Amino acid sequence: MATLTLDAVSKIYGPRLSHPVRAVDTVSLALRDGELVGLLGSSGCGKTSTLRMIAGFESVSEGTIRIGDRIINTLRPAERNVAMAFEGYALYPPLTVRDNIAFSLLRDRIPKAEVQQRVAHVAALLEIGDILDRYPQAISGGQQQRVSLARALVRRAQLSLLDEPMSQLEPQLRAVLRARIKDYLIEHRMTTVFVTHDQTEALALADRIAVMEGGRLQQFASPTDLKRRPANFFVASFIGEPPMNLFPAKMVRENGGLAVEVLGEDGTPGFRLPWPHAGRDLAEGRTVHLGIRAHEIRLGAPRPGETALDGVVVANQWLGDQSHIALAVAGVRLTIVTDRALAAPVDTRLALALPETALHLFDGDSGLAIAHGGRPAVAAAA
Amino acid sequence: MAFLDIAGIAKSFGKSRILDGLDLSVGKGEFTVVFGPSGAGKTVLLRLIAGILQPEAGDIRIGGTSILSQGPEARDVGMAFQNFALYPHMPAFENIASPLRARRTTEPEIRRRVHEVAELLRIGHVLDHLPKQLSNGQKQRTALARSLVCSPSVILLDDPLRNVDAKIRYEMRQELPRLLRAVGATVLYVTQDYKEAMALGDRVGVLLDGRFRQIDTPAGIYGAPDDTRIARLFGDPPINLIETAARDGRITIAGTAFPAGAAPGAGLRPEDVEVRFEPAEDAVPVDLEAVTPLNVRTVMLLRAADGTEILASRPEDQGDDPGRGRRRAWARLDLGRALYFDRDTGARLPAATA
Repeated sequence: MATLTLDAVSKIYGPRLSHPVRAVDTVSLALRDGELVGLLGSSGCGKTSTLRMIAGFESVSEGTIRIGDRIINTLRPAERNVAMAFEGYALYPPLTVRDNIAFSLLRDRIPKAEVQQRVAHVAALLEIGDILDRYPQAISGGQQQRVSLARALVRRAQLSLLDEPMSQLEPQLRAVLRARIKDYLIEHRMTTVFVTHDQTEALALADRIAVMEGGRLQQFASPTDLKRRPANFFVASFIGEPPMNLFPAKMVRENGGLAVEVLGEDGTPGFRLPWPHAGRDLAEGRTVHLGIRAHEIRLGAPRPGETALDGVVVANQWLGDQSHIALAVAGVRLTIVTDRALAAPVDTRLALALPETALHLFDGDSGLAIAHGGRPAVAAAA
Repeated sequence: MAFLDIAGIAKSFGKSRILDGLDLSVGKGEFTVVFGPSGAGKTVLLRLIAGILQPEAGDIRIGGTSILSQGPEARDVGMAFQNFALYPHMPAFENIASPLRARRTTEPEIRRRVHEVAELLRIGHVLDHLPKQLSNGQKQRTALARSLVCSPSVILLDDPLRNVDAKIRYEMRQELPRLLRAVGATVLYVTQDYKEAMALGDRVGVLLDGRFRQIDTPAGIYGAPDDTRIARLFGDPPINLIETAARDGRITIAGTAFPAGAAPGAGLRPEDVEVRFEPAEDAVPVDLEAVTPLNVRTVMLLRAADGTEILASRPEDQGDDPGRGRRRAWARLDLGRALYFDRDTGARLPAATA
């Protein structure tokens, strides 16, 4: 149980070269006690370097890292009292799975009976109870990953660091194991940082997610906020399956008011949406990106405050618990998600209603969010 | 009548039998997905059809004629692989043109066909680029164009979206059926992603233990899987398989009795479990153990007093906020939508006997 604070932390490779590489660029994060935080991004975004600095496997080039009130920048990994599950952070080959998991508890002189009970508990949780007496080389890669995770979880350390902890789980186990692990981490109030490239894993486990790209923190927010209030164009295009519909657009004048005119792939004008939220720095001619969340678009006639559109079905794909429908709307491609199967084959014309909450505007140059729904975006803390 | 007809195919490598009496009939112009876990023999099947491998038994016919005696070049079949397999020293144009050159097509005809297929796949502007100058999405389209350029009557696609980024994978998932319908091809498409299988296939064949265990429409497989193994391969979160006990015309599920017929084991999709935070009739009292958002849905792990775990899923932004930690809840099971399976064999039982 602890807080973790990163204050303007950077990792610079080749600082004396003519072109030093800032793999992590002035990242600040403050984790509350017991919080579960995911570092999310594609490869090379700086998430793993960040985790390795917290663990002590990489030196900190700039900034400070604190656990509680204690600066840990220069402490050796073993002195940080942190539990870790890292890729390639190997299991001890001469020890059985059981002894691998129990090792740190025995070293900390925890009574044998308690060790047994805790090992059995995490083994059941991770579905490895049947391989406790095997040796690491005799189990599959996916099982090794779960053993490594068990070894970290069993310690109930003040801070746990997990590197792609569930990347090799078979799909049928993923949903239930994620949920059990989350329950365990919350029950034992374990402050946890995990790295993942898989947004579904981040959304499922984390209280807050730090989205990284190009070494920089793009947004640090709850899963709900990332989806409803993405701070910039990158986050909007990265989060969600399907991601938000995003179109280049520009502000135009229509019937004396402002409207957003969406541009097609080749730059020709597509559909228009009235934008009655004047006086918010949105002058005519300004280039923007319009974002529309796929599953907030409704089928049917518009209610008050909603905008009507109609489109022609290009693809209608039923996935069992949801349908993804691609539509051509005035030459622009729009995807919507519904909870039910819809009998609408290709070329069917559908009436759509866009609620204001589904609409997001981003600056055409900087990509920063201008508005979510009809409301101005609150500037990020940065 | 079947256009592509595969009957009794067997293929082994060393002592392990990969395909074991496999049958498949595909109609002309049909998009069939070959779905199965890794190692099921999906790629082997495509290679047999392409002529890269020879079967030990069985026959493969296109339009009623056996093609087994034809070499790979002579077969009216195009194939694209998951690793693109482009020639690195050739620009996109020449990569696409290569099967035409192998068939000694005339130069004007090559130009016409390459441009036509490149236009369709929206890579007309990068035809003079080398593979290393192409994005992954463009590489994948180039490989696809090469498989289409001879207008083969059968197209084999081996997990072609596996190595492209999520955005392009999603776009292509929506576009591929239309593109392939436009060229009138009969398609066999390999994937191990059930969503891709459901999104793309007119029909999906589930390949397990060397044979197709079920071939049906996506909705048919999702709604009526032949056994528990297939049921668990389709759906994320996966179907709940719950032990049940029948007594005095009532069925006990997770410790709660319901007025229903006898049933050995119930399968209930997470979307058919409704979570309430107040006591409800015909509901299983549970502890909500964890809330894990999943894309546009919210998944909840529930545990009944007898220890049974139940996954529930609902559209996000719907109902009360489930909160973060453990709390008391009630699970309403939509038994009208439950599936029932034989406890020993796992086979699905018809609803009437359940």
